[in-house]
Amino acid sequence: MTATTERRTVLAVRDLKKHFPIKDGALQRVVGHVRAVDGVSFDLHRGETLGLVGESGCGKTTLGRVLAGLEPATSGGVYFDLSEAQRIQLDQSLKALDGADLAGLDAGHRVDRLSGHDWRRFRRNTQMVFQDSFSSLNPRHLVSDIVGRPLQVHKEASGSALTERVVDLLEQVGLGRQHLYRYPHQFSGGQRQRISIARALALDPELVILDEPTSALDVSVQAQILNLLHELQQSRGFTFLFITHDLAVVRHMADRIAVMYLGRIVEAGSTSELFARPIHPYTDALLRANPDLTENDEGFHGLEGTVPDPARPPQGCRFHTRCVYATPDCGWEIDDVVLQLEETPALFDKLEGVERRSPFDADLQFDDGASSAGLATALKGDHVPESMKSAIEQVAVNDRTVSIRFREVDEVQLTERGSDRQAACVLDALPDRSTQRR
Amino acid sequence: MTTAPIEAPKTTAPVVASVRDLRVHFKTKAGIVQAVDGVDFDVRDGETLGLVGETGCGKSVTARSFLRLVPMPPGIAVSGSIMFRPRMRCSSCDGAGCSICGNTGRVVSICPACSGAGCDTCEQTGAETVDLLTVPERELRAIRGNRIAMIFQDPGKALNPALTIGKQVAEVFYAHRSDELLTSAGIDPASESLQNYVLRRRASQESRTPENLVLSLPPLRTRRNAISAAADAMVAAALNETQIPNPRAVMDRYPHELSGGMKQRVMIAQALACDPDLLIADEPTTALDVTVQARIIELINELQERHKTAVVYISHDLSLVRKVADRTAVMYAGRIVEVGESDQIFHDPEHPYTRGLIDAIPGASHERGRLAAIEGTVPELIDPEPSCRFSGRCAYAEQVCRSEDPQLEPIDHRQVACFIHHPPDHGVAPTFARTEQ
Repeated sequence: MTATTERRTVLAVRDLKKHFPIKDGALQRVVGHVRAVDGVSFDLHRGETLGLVGESGCGKTTLGRVLAGLEPATSGGVYFDLSEAQRIQLDQSLKALDGADLAGLDAGHRVDRLSGHDWRRFRRNTQMVFQDSFSSLNPRHLVSDIVGRPLQVHKEASGSALTERVVDLLEQVGLGRQHLYRYPHQFSGGQRQRISIARALALDPELVILDEPTSALDVSVQAQILNLLHELQQSRGFTFLFITHDLAVVRHMADRIAVMYLGRIVEAGSTSELFARPIHPYTDALLRANPDLTENDEGFHGLEGTVPDPARPPQGCRFHTRCVYATPDCGWEIDDVVLQLEETPALFDKLEGVERRSPFDADLQFDDGASSAGLATALKGDHVPESMKSAIEQVAVNDRTVSIRFREVDEVQLTERGSDRQAACVLDALPDRSTQRR
Repeated sequence: MTTAPIEAPKTTAPVVASVRDLRVHFKTKAGIVQAVDGVDFDVRDGETLGLVGETGCGKSVTARSFLRLVPMPPGIAVSGSIMFRPRMRCSSCDGAGCSICGNTGRVVSICPACSGAGCDTCEQTGAETVDLLTVPERELRAIRGNRIAMIFQDPGKALNPALTIGKQVAEVFYAHRSDELLTSAGIDPASESLQNYVLRRRASQESRTPENLVLSLPPLRTRRNAISAAADAMVAAALNETQIPNPRAVMDRYPHELSGGMKQRVMIAQALACDPDLLIADEPTTALDVTVQARIIELINELQERHKTAVVYISHDLSLVRKVADRTAVMYAGRIVEVGESDQIFHDPEHPYTRGLIDAIPGASHERGRLAAIEGTVPELIDPEPSCRFSGRCAYAEQVCRSEDPQLEPIDHRQVACFIHHPPDHGVAPTFARTEQ
């Protein structure tokens, strides 16, 4: 019985987290964690292309590296090669917190528990193409060594048979026998990326993780590589995880898209749906900022502010600090007050300390009573977004101390929005653009 | 090579800079690389000219030639001319904008050789004209950062990591605005006293150790501090203009403490600090995320609108240039292959290379795996034979394309260098019809 007719899940990712410690001081004590990937779940089915989009620092590359087994995950699970029945079983036992059931699946499929034969099977079936072909190809090795190395490691071929296999691979990516005994520096950027692809294909893997494969290339060469990748997928049935920041490229390549922001997936869905009807304001902002996607006469728009510190991600929805449609339920918190304060140096210089009872409730200590009263009035001013004002439950000025309490909000979770479509937003649909704040 | 003035339906604004037959060659072990090989274009007053091309087409070298920033060696020869017409503040409205200066607040400087009558040095225009390639270094220093400013691709590398933002932006004012600094510090710049001499040296950052010692003593200390305070105020104003929140706090920070978008804003503030006539932006947003890129572009457009600065916008991203530029020049392998109004070029490209570039952008209409890639790679520019540089990758190329140089010649409001539009005297002319067979 072959598995060709059945839908197989190449990777099932469940609540995956990857935190990097921040060390400080003479003893290098851990003072915090950068939450590069912070609770990501998705399925990747055999033969499809999933596009993973986001700006720099959103954790998409880290996620790719964890999935390829290059970095251990902090928590959560990556399950490799599940049948449909196994996938359903996995979700049920995760929901029921059934340890016994999970243990069975973990042994043969959970990537960080694999060993011996299973681990080798996973590694040979998961290959990666990196963004920078300068640093991912060893400058001291010949092309024949680079492309042939996976075949040697897995004892697939040796001697002249190995050379023939390498020539065969090079021809598949549009290079030839004449390129066998050259060094990477003798090739152009596009050709080097072809070598990377040939190396990734050497073991005929199930899954290829493409981490920004065309970002360093010119558009005419990018088109060559994208065509090549599509051809190879057609002829050999690969599953692609396509990581990129370029929405025009993923629209062209991906069947489904997941949009990441600050370590979490904020929206996922089929490519056509997501482009036609974005739900999350961040997706909308990305679409509107891309000159390839906006029409000629339509102006394109950027986003205010900067990406928040991933060591202290905002409460509620992580995007609320920059969102033009933010509502009182989006997780306004004390940090937003501090952010506003930083823009008014006269008050910020007088700030002595912040005593937090929770992210939503704190006392702000000032040097003098005038400043604390100043903050209380500033919070009612035009500078503060309406939605933030409405989220404030209490402001109490007591001499030099201001107590502020915001409405408490839970982290906004990814929810189902129709078939195979998820979004993490408190709103049901993207509001009309005329209702933007600012 | 002479070029007819580019006709355009939209604008007849006078030219700020005209590049004629610019050639920049580099010496390498393999031979002489002709990185820029006969480039002609004009930058008109107040417009944005987009310079588009792929890696290695010579667009950055062209930009750097404006300020003579091409390193010699490995550069061995720069020939041709870049004629620049500096402007000055309009005397009748003092920069506020009036009918005489056409609301720009600036007028063309008068040619010193003929007092505006028209002579050979100013090409009969009566406007002061400087050839940036031959002007003495000392005069060029007065133009750099003052009349012509540049924004570089990677703000992380272009800013000095060892100086605070406040200190490095202030350098522009010390170099070009020392008189204004003295005036706002309450010192008469024209006074000839010894004290003023020392202060003047200080305000143009020329003071040496003994002078600094004198300046740190009580009689001059307060006035020295007044100069620094005046510089700080000018820096804060410049940073404020690029919408940097809380500029006074940013001035005390070092570049590594700022985000990429913020660093690029500092670069823009520094570039526009002296209200230049020409701003050269070399891939200013390539290192930034799309959402930040859109903000920076909005900012550049806004400031350009206010200052009426001409901008040469260099990028490899065609879609972006379409949004930004009034006119676009497409470069390939050291030459310009097509110049014209941006809308016209993007809607109806005439050169096969421009067509190829536009078709290679993944769009909604493209079927997956059917992108129109341009086959092959950019040719090496070492001692090239006379030929159309694109002939090796062109789907329409004929024999004549491989043996003769097509020239940039006008066709309806634009210029194209291709034998399809300007058939050669002999041989078979290429046509667009060929690949359809």
